[in-house]
Amino acid sequence: MEIPFREARPENGAGLVPADNSAPHKEELSFKIKEQKIVVDELSNLKKHRKVYRQQQNSNIFFLADRTEMLSESKNILDELKKEYQEIENSEKNKTKK
Amino acid sequence: MEAPPDPGPHASASASASAAAPLRAPEVARLREEQEKVVTSCQEKIQHWKKVDNDYNALQERLSTLPDKLSYNIMVPFGPFAFMPGKLVHTNEVTVLLGDNWFAKCSAKQAVGLVEHRKEHVRKTIDDLKKVMNNFESRVEFTEDLQKMSDAAGDIVDIREEIKSDFEFKAKHRIAHKPHSKPKTSDIFEADFANDVQSKGLLADEGLWARLEELERQEELLGELDSKPDAVIANGEDTTSSEEEKEEQNIHGHVGNERADSGTPSGRPRDAPELLRAPVTSQHKCSVNGSDACHSDEDDGDGDDENENVRDALGLGETSVPTIYFSHTVEPKRVRINTGKNTTLKFSEKKEEAKRKRKNSSGGGHCSQELPTIRTPADIYRVFVDLVNGEYVPRKSILKSRSREDSVCSDTSESSAADLDDRRGLWRSISCEEATHSDTSESILEEEQQENHQKKLSPVTGTPEAFSGTVIEKEFLSSSAPHPAGAHPVLPTIPERREVLSEVSGESTKRVSKFKAARLQQKS
Repeated sequence: MEIPFREARPENGAGLVPADNSAPHKEELSFKIKEQKIVVDELSNLKKHRKVYRQQQNSNIFFLADRTEMLSESKNILDELKKEYQEIENSEKNKTKK
Repeated sequence: MEAPPDPGPHASASASASAAAPLRAPEVARLREEQEKVVTSCQEKIQHWKKVDNDYNALQERLSTLPDKLSYNIMVPFGPFAFMPGKLVHTNEVTVLLGDNWFAKCSAKQAVGLVEHRKEHVRKTIDDLKKVMNNFESRVEFTEDLQKMSDAAGDIVDIREEIKSDFEFKAKHRIAHKPHSKPKTSDIFEADFANDVQSKGLLADEGLWARLEELERQEELLGELDSKPDAVIANGEDTTSSEEEKEEQNIHGHVGNERADSGTPSGRPRDAPELLRAPVTSQHKCSVNGSDACHSDEDDGDGDDENENVRDALGLGETSVPTIYFSHTVEPKRVRINTGKNTTLKFSEKKEEAKRKRKNSSGGGHCSQELPTIRTPADIYRVFVDLVNGEYVPRKSILKSRSREDSVCSDTSESSAADLDDRRGLWRSISCEEATHSDTSESILEEEQQENHQKKLSPVTGTPEAFSGTVIEKEFLSSSAPHPAGAHPVLPTIPERREVLSEVSGESTKRVSKFKAARLQQKS
């Protein structure tokens, strides 16, 4: 029984977020990006034998997950969020220019 | 009549001004505020439902992949803060909360179906909320525009409303203040008259007055010709109605109550007599009559019918009648309003008037209206008139005329059930003989003669309709009447005849005129 798990809650939130994230709100997006950055950072700094669990949304059950997979997944989510954020910024700039 | 309406306008002007105010900024701003509240609440609800939808999506995804593996390593929650490692074994067995702590055991696939069903419901609610939100957003825009317009200056509409409201309010106020006891309907009618008169007066006072003068002259000419009958009618209505009313109210408390209950019909007749008196006494009457005549002319179907009736009653030319018009027009209108049947009621009124005339001429004094007092056919007429005709003649006559004519029961029915039986017995005993002999002989014979004449004059048009309607009703009455009273075959039949005659006569104006002419001849 190695030190069991690291809560993946933030990660879960992040994972879910991209799907619903149609968020036009810039602030929301920036907040999520910050969250995701932390998740990625934490996952990347984990020792190899650590276990990672992922919380089922809206419930209290944690499913065991693969650390590397979660790391890559969270990185992808972070990239998507950054893209969205930039798009919004660009559109705003265009509007202001116009 | 004219005096009261004048004060009304001033008061109404202030009222209208106050009424115009409400559209001002504060109210509009508050309306907009409330609408925006609705929009925000809708947005919140939509957000909540979107989260629910999101949760269901995740659940569906999890359920769809759950059976992929035989077992999962999980952290099992022990309360909110404690976990212990465990294994999720039965990956294809799910219990679904159906609600109210009832669960259904099913496979993961079935659970996915259930989730899909619930997602549908969630989507539907979200759509509804969006619709509501859009609706109220548009309303907010509209109120914003309204606010801008009101701030700018959109008083034109308000001014128009003021004018209208003034007239109405004036009339209503005047009526309400004058006779508290009198029913609302009569007041309304008066108000209408006043309004019309005012409007007309505003438009062309001079022309109206000129016409009134002409009408007055005509009245004088005609009045000389028909002076006796007209005077008799007017006086008879006034005296009979007032006296009868008083007597009825005093003696027959229950009857008065019933009338009060009926409300509108009772009040109108009283008003009508007043109107009649006023016009007769002074030139004002002429003006009133003229105005009424104008109204009647303007009135669509009612006015024509009324005019015809009046003409018939007077048996005079159209123009000369106006004085009479007034009274008649008022009553028929009331009748129409109450029952919706114009012709029958009018005729019934005419008959009642004829009865009154007969009473005045024959009976002269007002015997007690109660049943025992009936000694002569005239008394019988009065009783009928009192209940139906006397004061509230037209309206009650419409409803009751048939019933009353059919049997005394109708009158009694109005008063009290207990009295009804007694009265019926007395009435029938007394009335059978008298009514059959005297009343029926006089009235019916006259009417029949008139009918015959009328038929000759106007054979086809009016008769068939009137006969059909009247016959049916009379049949009902005759059939119904005997049961409560104890079945006097003679009485019901008589009333039927009367009604038939009256209705028939009512349909064709010519008949009526002849009828009244016959009365006049008899009286004279």
